[in-house]
Amino acid sequence: MELNLSAVLDSWRFLLSGLGVTLLLAAGVTVLSLFSGTLLALGRLYGPRWLSAVIVFYIDSMRAIPVLVVLVWVYFALPIATGLNLPPFWSALLSLSAHLAAYVAEVVRAGIQSVRPGQVRAGMALGMTRAQILRKIVLPQAVVRMLPAFGSLLSLAVKDTAIATVIAVPELMRRADAVAGQTYAPVEVFTTVMILYFIVIFPLTRGIDMIYRRISFLGRS
Amino acid sequence: MTDTLVKLPQGFALPEVVIEYRDVRKQYGEFVALAGVNLEVRRGQVVCLIGPSGSGKSTLLRCTNGLETMTSGEVYFDGMPLSKDPRKTRLIRQRMGMVFQNFELFPHKTALGNIMMGPMTVLGLSEEQARTRAEALLAKVGLSDKAGNYPANLSGGQQQRVAIARALAMEPEVMLFDEPTSALDPETIGEVLNVMKRLADDGMTMVVVTHEMTFARRVADHVVVFANGQIVEQGPPEQIFDAPKTTRTRDFLSHLGWDG
Ligand SMILES: Nc1ncnc2c1ncn2[C@@H]1O[C@H](COP(=O)(O)OP(=O)(O)OP(=O)(O)O)[C@@H](O)[C@H]1O
Ligand SMILES: [Mg+2]
Repeated sequence: MELNLSAVLDSWRFLLSGLGVTLLLAAGVTVLSLFSGTLLALGRLYGPRWLSAVIVFYIDSMRAIPVLVVLVWVYFALPIATGLNLPPFWSALLSLSAHLAAYVAEVVRAGIQSVRPGQVRAGMALGMTRAQILRKIVLPQAVVRMLPAFGSLLSLAVKDTAIATVIAVPELMRRADAVAGQTYAPVEVFTTVMILYFIVIFPLTRGIDMIYRRISFLGRS
Repeated sequence: MTDTLVKLPQGFALPEVVIEYRDVRKQYGEFVALAGVNLEVRRGQVVCLIGPSGSGKSTLLRCTNGLETMTSGEVYFDGMPLSKDPRKTRLIRQRMGMVFQNFELFPHKTALGNIMMGPMTVLGLSEEQARTRAEALLAKVGLSDKAGNYPANLSGGQQQRVAIARALAMEPEVMLFDEPTSALDPETIGEVLNVMKRLADDGMTMVVVTHEMTFARRVADHVVVFANGQIVEQGPPEQIFDAPKTTRTRDFLSHLGWDG
């Protein structure tokens, strides 16, 4: 078959601006889900029993529902159910973050629980408070231990943005769809898209792996 | 007195008995780990707790600073009962240093950072004050050149010496040791025991759980033999090691191959 590269070259600006939206959405999802996922984990581990129960229910539901369903629900059902009408980008940001936060919460919880109980005892023996022990002893080590899992979550944060195409967020996938439709060159366009996602995500996960290999001793008690 | 590891408390008003255990009991479900322990630790004394594995030595040590809750009984520190109030418990813990079998150094902190942790977070010392104190203590345990090393880059013996310095940085009245040399290679045991010996010579009150009978024999003022959660014999090392009064003590020592 003949490759029609001009289909890609003629609209590279259009595609790149789509990639910009993808990265913006991914960055927003990362920050929001890390923040709320950490809060969920802390609430589950150290909160009152009723709060733990609510959080466990939330995490279990989010892990049992496809992210696409959450997205579509937030965009089409939430406005009718609550009157809250969010534009596509914000709907995507909210639903993807809410979904990923459940996974972040599990990673953070496992990280915290993997720190040896002797470390907490050492802090207690010094006369430190529970909060000081958490902040200065447990969390720093847990963060190091969580790094490899964070690498996977980060790549998920980028990849999941592609489904925002179904509610017409103008990210990379949506733009590629449009270009492919106009130029009748799906092979060229979608191959380019694959390569672009790979170029973004591969260094992210590899970079985190490399950092982890260099600092893992900071979390090894 | 300039070359001592500890600041001796200016102790006129302080009671002679530093720690008193009164009928301390601890149960895990049906299992009785401590079956009523009565013991006094006097100021400046080195008390060694010996006995077979599982006899409750670590449990008693952890009850001393409230890391373990007692089922019943009472522990008095300077005449004050260990309280259920977490604020008071923390105040008491600040005045008792503890050294663990597995060191439990903080892996994300350097040797110096480990020693500075307590003074900065608990005593509210400035970073500069804490650093000065930590450097002096590192020198005392002979590790000035390792100040910037992370625990991952220290030998077991060096880690345990840093752990001792970390506990001393709180300027405690008492030091509790739970088998401080059990996780060490034979060739590094000596360096840790030497630091402990100097600490004892400086007048530190010490409660030491140990399987190092030579150390107990040479350094202890008082030796306590445990079996099944009870004290089966206690007395000066000469009595325990040369003329044990109970068969339980004799059995334990001969089991270890101790022949006086
Ligand atoms: N959390 C727990 N739950 C149930 N049993 C426990 C618990 N902690 C300790 N024990 C039991 O209590 C007993 C006393 O334990 P302890 O650690 O005080 O013994 P020890 O004299 O220090 O022994 P070792 O020389 O092996 O350190 C042991 O039989 C142990 O199995
Ligand atoms: Mg023990």
